[in-house]
This record gives sequence, structure tokens and C-alpha cells, in this order.
Amino acid sequence: MLKLTGIRRSYRIGPVTTEILRGVDLEVHAGDLMSIMGPSGSGKTTLMNIVGLLDRPTSGACILDGRDVSGLRDDELSALRNRHIGFVFQSFHLLPQLTALENVCLPLVYRGAGRPEMRRHAQAILERVGMAERTGHRPDQLSGGQKQRVAIARALVGEPALLLADEPTGALDADTAGEVMALLRQLNAERGITILIITHDPSVAGQCARQTRIRDGRLFEPKAAAADGA
Amino acid sequence: MSRTFSVLSANAREAAESLRRARLRTVLGLVGVMIGISSVIAMVSLGEIAREQARKQFEALGTDIVVVRKAVGSGAKAIDLPNALQVAAAVPSITEAAPRISGRGTFRFAGRKVGGGAVQGVTRSFASVNRLTLQEGRFISDLDADRYWCVVGAGVAEAMRGAGADRLAGSLLEVDEVLFTVVGVLDGKEESYALPVQVNANKSIFVPITTAQRIAPDPGVEVIIARSGAGVHYEAAVADIRSYFRRRAPDLGLDIVTAKELVARMEAQMGIFTLLLGAVGSISLIVGGIGIMNIMLVSVAERRAEIAIRRALGARQRDIRSQFLIESVILTIIGGMLGIALGLAATWTICRFTDWDFLISGLSVASGLGTAAAVGLFFGFQPAHQASRLDPIAGLQGK
Repeated sequence: MLKLTGIRRSYRIGPVTTEILRGVDLEVHAGDLMSIMGPSGSGKTTLMNIVGLLDRPTSGACILDGRDVSGLRDDELSALRNRHIGFVFQSFHLLPQLTALENVCLPLVYRGAGRPEMRRHAQAILERVGMAERTGHRPDQLSGGQKQRVAIARALVGEPALLLADEPTGALDADTAGEVMALLRQLNAERGITILIITHDPSVAGQCARQTRIRDGRLFEPKAAAADGA
Repeated sequence: MSRTFSVLSANAREAAESLRRARLRTVLGLVGVMIGISSVIAMVSLGEIAREQARKQFEALGTDIVVVRKAVGSGAKAIDLPNALQVAAAVPSITEAAPRISGRGTFRFAGRKVGGGAVQGVTRSFASVNRLTLQEGRFISDLDADRYWCVVGAGVAEAMRGAGADRLAGSLLEVDEVLFTVVGVLDGKEESYALPVQVNANKSIFVPITTAQRIAPDPGVEVIIARSGAGVHYEAAVADIRSYFRRRAPDLGLDIVTAKELVARMEAQMGIFTLLLGAVGSISLIVGGIGIMNIMLVSVAERRAEIAIRRALGARQRDIRSQFLIESVILTIIGGMLGIALGLAATWTICRFTDWDFLISGLSVASGLGTAAAVGLFFGFQPAHQASRLDPIAGLQGK
């Protein structure tokens, strides 16, 4: 469903050109639960931005559902993000002025759904992530784990093909992190949702069926990674 | 269509909510626009009210008045009385003409001073041309030639009664040691300063024009006040009067002013005046608009992360732009409505102190609201555009 070939991304800062990604090839299949692990500065966030259609590669092809997205206009990319990609961020990125329910509704607003339909969907998905009791709370009234559950609900409400999680447990304590990871694995197992997790934490990566590493702008997929858990 | 509507209505709800949250900033922005709109409203309304006021003054006396004077600085002698008396009969576009010879005097009754003012030598037609009415007796008649008879204005009559006169008609009034017999008393009349000639009837006395010729320092006709016929264009009346005098007194220079011409000129002037006042008000509106722009720029800068999140969730650039535009337009429209209320209140207060008739100009209210929305769009566009062009990656990383 997602295929990257020869992805390069370089930034120019003044006279210096820095190459962050140096030819990344990656294929994600429907139903994958996959991790990309690497130290900071390895290019994992840049890769995630490209996969999430927020950034364009300097060269290389990015094919989403059989469609090359590299030449698309900004509006088309926005529509693709809205329909096909759900984001979960390390720092949750909920809008503080909106309730949990309203936050979850946002992707549907930009899809043009009617209000009652939006609220029904959002309510259902909040129930699924165990937040049925807190739909009217604002983010500052929620704990870290609860915020991340709301964020996951928001990422899933539009039924995207791919859920992109950037350090989803990075701001959580160990117990809460475990709960969030359990939720993601459940969603993958029960609903077949494709999940791509970016992390620097081996214990998070270890819970993924497919594990890859990124180093110096290149992606590696150790064949035996699943066995030893690192 | 439905997507646009869904996004716009969500944007409107959130814009209202966002304004409610940033309370102090919202109030400051409102005040700027409010002062701007209110000064435009007050200035334009006052301009219109002043124009309406002047127009009413003209209408009270009729806009068909034509005033003929000897041209200032023309070396020729004054307008000749016989020529002046025949204007109405000889010029077809003129229905009535009232020549006047003016002097001044001090009035005494029963040995006591009862005022001083104009001694106006007039004919019978002067009363009808100037819409003068009588409370007692009669006006000067054309058969009164050379008689020492007078009609007194309401102010003079009041003073005479104060000096002990119980019946004015028939009593004697001394004007600079010349005795006049009072034959009539005028009703009080408000002076219209908009007209090209002042009558000042209340403080004057009126005597037969031939009598005035004897006692006035300048025996020439000072002015002819005439009325043109119905449907006559003022330029035609002026041309007819000029050609009449060219035949009778070829070297006489004339200065002819018509009320219609004055009205037209005044309307043009008032138009400029209103425009000028509007321009002054607009300056404060521009200042208010810059305030809005400033506030919106701050708001955009504060909400970079929010904008980035929305973009990541699928908002297009134009969705972000409309969100901020709606916010600034809501802000300026509320400011505009408050400004209209404040502007009308200021206008009403000024009208109370100047005795003008307060009126609400629908045009100024409508244009006030329109202007407010336009200010919101114009000054909100740059911040909204800036918001829509923000890089979502930088916003998500908190840069």
C-alpha cells in the first residue's frame, strides 16, 4: 500500500547542503505493525514527514495506494492526508480549546461531514479507545495517557489506511506507555489497521511485528530482529 | 459545496470561541474599529444633517428667489428706481419683484428709545416676496408714496409695547427725529442666513420706497428681491433680467444670485464637506484596521502549532485562511455595530446642542457595516494568508 524507492532529502542551510535521507527504500503492507528505530538525528522524523505527506523528497518516488504522490499540489496532498493518514504525535498535539470529542471530530470537519454524523463517529471511536466517559473534557483536564488515547481516536476517526505514530509513548511513564502500546497492538490485531511507529526506544520497537532501523539516512531491516527483540 | 459549508461553519464557531477566549485582545481590537466606525458614522451623519438643515431653510422661503444687486466695484451709478419698479412687469420669467432702499435709524416711542435697526424702503410686493405676514394693520401699499408711514417688525413692536404703547396702529414712531405713523405690525419671522439677502424683519421698520429715497443716505436701489415663475430655470431668469437692464441701463454691472444656484452650489460644497469629514473618520478607521491586523498577526504567531496540526489533519491552505479571515471579520463587524451605536449617540448629542433635527441616515449605517466588514477582510487578509502559508513541519516541531 505504501512504497518508497530511493528517497533522498537534503536541506540547504546557507552554502551548506546537508543530506538527511540518503536513498531510503521501504515497503509497507496493509496490516503491518512496523517500527522504525534510530537515534536522534538519524532522519526518522524527516522520513515520517515524507511518509505523512507533510514534506516532499528531494528525489525518489513515494507511491501511496498505487499512486505517485510526488507531483501533487498542496490541496491534493491535504486531501490525501485527510483520507489516508492518521497522525499520533509524541506531545499529543490536541487543540487545547476543544473538548476531546471536538478534537476527534477535526479530521471529519476537513472532510466535509455533517455535524451529527461527525459526533456519532467520534463518540464511537472514543468508546473504542476507552475514553467514553471523558468526551466533554478539555485536554488540560486529561492525564498524559488519556490525551494520547484521544489523539489515537483522532487519528483513527477518518478510517485511514495508515496510522503514523511518532514517539507515541515518548511523553508517558512506563505503565501508561505500556497501555498505549497495548491499545495500538490491539487495534492492529482486531481491525487490521496498518501502523508505522517511529521511536528511539527498543522496548517500543520490540513490540512490533516488523522492525527496521534507520542510521545515517539509510534504512535497514534486520531479518532476525523479531527474534531477539532488539 | 457541502465540504466548504462544513468547514466554514466549523471555522465560524471556532472563531467566535477563539475571540471569546482572547478577551482582552478582542476588546482592544473592538475599541479600535469601534472608534473608527463611530467617527465615520458621526462625521457622515452630521454632514448629511447639516445639508438637510440648510435645505429646509431654503425651502421655507422658496428656492425660486432671485437677488439682483449692482455689481461690486462697477463704477456705474446704482440701479435706477423706475427701472427696478418695472422688472416684474417687463421680464416675463419673473412673477414678483421687490426693490429695496436701505437706511438705518434709531427708533424712539413717546420719548423713549425702543431700538435701532434697518429702515427699509419697500413696495407692496416686498411682503409677499419675503413671506412677511401681519399681526395688526396693513403692509406698505403702492398708494403710500412719499408718506411718513411705517410698518414695524415684531421686535420693534414688542419694544414699543414695553414702552407703554397699547395700540400700535396709529401711534407715532420717531426715527432719527422724523415722525412716522405706524400702519401695521409684522408677525415675528425667523431669519434665514442661507439666503443671499438678509431681511432681518423683526428689528426693522418698513417705509414706502419713495419716502426712503428722501431720508436714506444712498437713494439708489440697494437690492431687488424677485421670484421667478414656476418651471423657469434659474439661468433663464438671470439672462432675462440681464437683457432687460442692458436695454434700460447699458453701463450698469449687475450681480445676480439665485437661490437655486446657491442650493446647487451648497449641495456641491456639502458633498465635499461630507466627503472630507468621511475622510477624517476614515483615518481613524485605518488606524483601527491596523490594530486588527496587529492582533491577528499575534494570534497567528501564537497558534502556529494549532495551524500545523490542522494542516496535518487535512486542512487545506484556504481552510486555514478562511478560519482567520472569519475571525477578523467577526471582530470588525461587532466593532462596527458598536461603532454605529456610538456614532449615532454622538450625532444625537451634537444635534441636541445645535438644535438641528437628528436623523438616522440609512446610507451611513449600511456603509458603516459594509466598511467594517471590508476593513476586516482587508486588514485580516495578510495575517490569514501568512497563517495559510506556514510550514506545518516547523509548526509541529514547535519552531
